Amino acid sequence: MAELLSHVLIAYTIFTVARWYVEWFTKRWVAMGMIGALLPDLSRIGLFVTDATIETTLGVPFNIGAVHTLGGISILAAIGSLVVADHHRTAFILLVAGGISHLLTDGLKIWADGAASAWLYPFSWYRHPTPGLYVSSDYRVLVVVGSIALIVALVDRRIIHQQ
Amino acid sequence: MRTGLRVAVCILLLFGAFGLCIHYGATYDTNWPHPTGEQLDTDYEEYVDERILLIGEVQSTDPVDETLTIEITDDADEVAAEIEVHDTTATVEPGGTVQAYGTLQADETMTASETVVVNHGPTESQYKLAVSVVGILFAIGYFLTQWQLNLQQLTFDQRSNTTEADHNG
Repeated sequence: MAELLSHVLIAYTIFTVARWYVEWFTKRWVAMGMIGALLPDLSRIGLFVTDATIETTLGVPFNIGAVHTLGGISILAAIGSLVVADHHRTAFILLVAGGISHLLTDGLKIWADGAASAWLYPFSWYRHPTPGLYVSSDYRVLVVVGSIALIVALVDRRIIHQQ
Repeated sequence: MRTGLRVAVCILLLFGAFGLCIHYGATYDTNWPHPTGEQLDTDYEEYVDERILLIGEVQSTDPVDETLTIEITDDADEVAAEIEVHDTTATVEPGGTVQAYGTLQADETMTASETVVVNHGPTESQYKLAVSVVGILFAIGYFLTQWQLNLQQLTFDQRSNTTEADHNG
């Protein structure tokens, strides 16, 4: 996966541009989409508690990697949508969309065997071919994504100013 | 939606997330095409002469012989196998992370057809961690400019200073 700042900036860029074309799409939904982009990496809880610890405690197989899939982000988005006061459906859609932007970006990275992770779980274990555009530690990803996000932020400011 | 009902549904969904992780853990080994650390540890012979993908931390490198030694860990982050990867020209320091795809040999070596350096050294994983923390803070900071916590209702409400058009979603 790319680092989280790139994922958040990609979500910011996509949803800010969407805001230019969709009247009801306010900044609060841009913010919701950015939070959605964080969801798949909640699987990083595994850095603090290993799967083996949970497996030993519960006596059942366990893999936190499920969070980094379409099914995982859908359930987390449903929880997130209930934490906002209203517009639960819109919140859910934006959280899922932010999560999908993260998973799609990860689907472009290099894998030595040429196939991406099985992020469509639980709907499928299919691993699609990856174009192999980057590795997660490549700082150029952040430079490119950050530059685009900055341009979008400046244009957005100008559009808002004109309005 | 009433607070009590929302909390109850959230708890149910948390159980759902937990159940998904259990199902994923139970079905992962049969659906993932490559061996996990546990499988290498217990059924190594089964994967000999197979083309597999390994992801591990680099322990040592030998650029002259074009080999590097990587540690594969299991679910408990314990070392499950140490594999010497041959035929790789990857430039990486000990402490870095690589993906190696190739044919596993009986003597705990692999003939690599493709090696990808994920982290060239330990500093790159620190870079990713630091930049990710900035990303989390940025997302949360931006979110809090648009939403505020309502402790009474245990919800996030739209901030009153955001005056843009709203949507009845």
